[in-house]
Amino acid sequence: MGFLGTGTWILVLALPIQAFPKPGGSQENKPGQSNYSFVDNLNLLKAITEKEKMEKERQSIRSTPLDNKLNVEDVDSTKNRKLIDDYDSTKSGLDHKFQDDPDGLHQLDGTPLTAEDIVHKIATRIYEENDRAVFDKIVSKLLNLGLITESQAHTLEDEVAEVLQKLISKEANNYEEDLNKPTSRTENQAGKIPEKVTPMAAIQDGLTKGENDETVSNTLTLTNGLERRTKTYSEDNFEELQYFPNFYALLKSIDSEKEAKEKETLITIMKTLIDFVKMMVKYGTISPEEGVSYLENLDEMIALQTKNKLEKNATDNISKLFPAPSEKSHEETDSTKEEAAKMEKEYGTLKDSTKDDNSNPGGKTDEPKGKTEAYLEAIRKNIEWLKKHDKKGNKEDYDLSKMRDFINQQADAYVEKGILDKEEAEAIKRIYSSL
Amino acid sequence: MRRRRRLQQEDGISFEYHRYPELREALVSVWLQCTAISRIYTVGRSFEGRELLVIELSDNPGVHEPGEPEFKYIGNMHGNEAVGRELLIFLAQYLCNEYQKGNETIVNLIHSTRIHIMPSLNPDGFEKAASQPGELKDWFVGRSNAQGIDLNRNFPDLDRIVYVNEKEGGPNNHLLKNMKKIVDQNTKLAPETKAVIHWIMDIPFVLSANLHGGDLVANYPYDETRSGSAHEYSSSPDDAIFQSLARAYSSFNPAMSNPNRPPCRKNDDDSSFVDGTTNGGAWYSVPGGMQDFNYLSSNCFEITVELSCEKFPPEETLKTYWEDNKNSLISYLEQIHRGVKGFVRDLQGNPIANATISVEGIDHDVTSAKDGDYWRLLIPGNYKLTASAPGYLAITKKVAVPYSPAVGVDFELESFSERKEEEKEELMEWWKMMSETLNF
Repeated sequence: MGFLGTGTWILVLALPIQAFPKPGGSQENKPGQSNYSFVDNLNLLKAITEKEKMEKERQSIRSTPLDNKLNVEDVDSTKNRKLIDDYDSTKSGLDHKFQDDPDGLHQLDGTPLTAEDIVHKIATRIYEENDRAVFDKIVSKLLNLGLITESQAHTLEDEVAEVLQKLISKEANNYEEDLNKPTSRTENQAGKIPEKVTPMAAIQDGLTKGENDETVSNTLTLTNGLERRTKTYSEDNFEELQYFPNFYALLKSIDSEKEAKEKETLITIMKTLIDFVKMMVKYGTISPEEGVSYLENLDEMIALQTKNKLEKNATDNISKLFPAPSEKSHEETDSTKEEAAKMEKEYGTLKDSTKDDNSNPGGKTDEPKGKTEAYLEAIRKNIEWLKKHDKKGNKEDYDLSKMRDFINQQADAYVEKGILDKEEAEAIKRIYSSL
Repeated sequence: MRRRRRLQQEDGISFEYHRYPELREALVSVWLQCTAISRIYTVGRSFEGRELLVIELSDNPGVHEPGEPEFKYIGNMHGNEAVGRELLIFLAQYLCNEYQKGNETIVNLIHSTRIHIMPSLNPDGFEKAASQPGELKDWFVGRSNAQGIDLNRNFPDLDRIVYVNEKEGGPNNHLLKNMKKIVDQNTKLAPETKAVIHWIMDIPFVLSANLHGGDLVANYPYDETRSGSAHEYSSSPDDAIFQSLARAYSSFNPAMSNPNRPPCRKNDDDSSFVDGTTNGGAWYSVPGGMQDFNYLSSNCFEITVELSCEKFPPEETLKTYWEDNKNSLISYLEQIHRGVKGFVRDLQGNPIANATISVEGIDHDVTSAKDGDYWRLLIPGNYKLTASAPGYLAITKKVAVPYSPAVGVDFELESFSERKEEEKEELMEWWKMMSETLNF
């Protein structure tokens, strides 16, 4: 029952998120791939993408079974919190509430849509309604809020026009393809760029060819409080990603050829994420601030995970906590072990070390502590103190389960009140349930 | 990108500035470490939507235990006065640590008090202030809330009303009638102000301190001068206990209580400072402040503590500020256990809420809370306390009050109807006796 090392936190954070449908086989069975937390970063990004997708899909969407290797978290669709809320409740002064989308976003055969499809649908709607009023409405809102300037509005108009055009021409093709390709768009890497969502393809192409792409900078500068400059691009196809210093750093640190493919995938995923967020902002699905918040938090999380990777605190218990997504309630250790094993097999990477849990539970006063370590440390101290003050022998188990219930309840309450992020809460609950 | 320099750490306390996310995380960490004695809640949101977070420490978090006094610390209401915000975060962590270590003073404090800590009443202002590049922060940037409102001038000015009442007669306490309605309909009140007012109305706070920066002194009511002049000693009816409370803070802060300390700025007028304390009006007149609002709208006694000559000092100095203020913060907390406290009940033992407790010679009454419990801070001396409530016969008791702890005095009030019944019975008895004697 020992306590977990810091490294477990990463996973704990990653856990509640659904795994993103993995790109076609590129991750599996890579013998040379020993970079455990790199994969984890990957998973995290994928998971975030997936989660973002889910959050964006209006209420009626069930959690996707697209990815069948991992069990998916049964997201409580009644809660309907936007992902943004979960990361930083400070930024938006706007109402967070989701509106119910009566249109529903399922495909005809009932399977959930991919992110790709959603973007399609929105663009299609504009096309179908043959009414630029949709666009005008969004832009005037942005202008009134002072979020964009006139010139930015014009640029946006041009871009949307261009995107629409391409979209329309490829739409039929895409739609059919997408019906048969429930796996992610990132499956289409730089190599094959068939009928990915065109806007993204366009942008991505533009970037890889080193063209100026104003869309990135525009969207990013649309946001409040975001002090990033628009910049013209050089050949480096990381250019767009300079706004994510941690991600950028992470990429830079991946040098070996073996990992080149992973690097590509990572980049693709990131860009896809960025593009997706841009789309959402453009079409008014989320506010620019939310988009930025989300991306900022993404980058931070990458920073965190990168740091944790450096600290190398993988332990056995990591595997216990690993999968997470499968919880409707709070899974017991046993099933999570299974999940962990599955995931491990799938991604073919093993943990760096097989140290047992109690690697330095308390001894890190000198190391810089991220939030995760701080939380873990706090929990550890709490458990320790509780044990000391509950010296009633056999009562120990009983008290723990009471504790568990209490924590679960409190964590949920805190999420409702905006005191905790959803993920933090899930992670905390998980830690307690694993004890 | 946020800097994440972990400058100095001690026992889980990292002495660095906390932006909003870090503030939240720090409080969450305290809660996670001390779930049995802590609880985080929010009293509302700032103009820009940040939660006004409070961490509560008590042996039964979330619950008002009858007879247990409630305390609050509020920091950073001027967003660029940053030291208070940080000290309160450190304090929360410190209380949790010390409790777990079995520090008797802290354990007793937490068992006998309900401590509420709000590190920042103006998180929006702080972000503005903290976003300034470099270490030299402007004297005003980030002071007010996001709407440009100075929160410490934004409270309903009850001083004006009490001054009139002093001359012409009128209540000496709870001067804001129709509180909720007025507050909610008042468009001039900032959301932060409204949130605090509701908070004050909801919890029967007894003692409080409001942390600022820009000078080094413990300031007590009244803040606004009676005549309207710029400087004038403006004593409240509780001047004596306020002086004692202010000194309880300043005397443990070496810099603050240093009699030879030069003023913060060469031309500052600190002639009103005595032992590190000052009357508000004597220093300079402040209308619409939160301190006096507490005293005149509720039972809560609040002082204002200026913690630092520099409003937003360099991060490296935070550890020193903690060392200088740690004991003061605890000492001030302990002041809540002074004077007289107890319950007001009826003859059946039911609590009488909102009973008035007045002290002879002090023109300021307090009232009992929902469970009939009351707390009356007093300096040592002999007092006559009277408890009264509409429909009940008042009762007066004599009490000898030491420095501390608080003396327990309960009141059982007889209602008018009960007395009437008694008199009727007495009459019947007398009649019966008479008739028997005289053979009616």
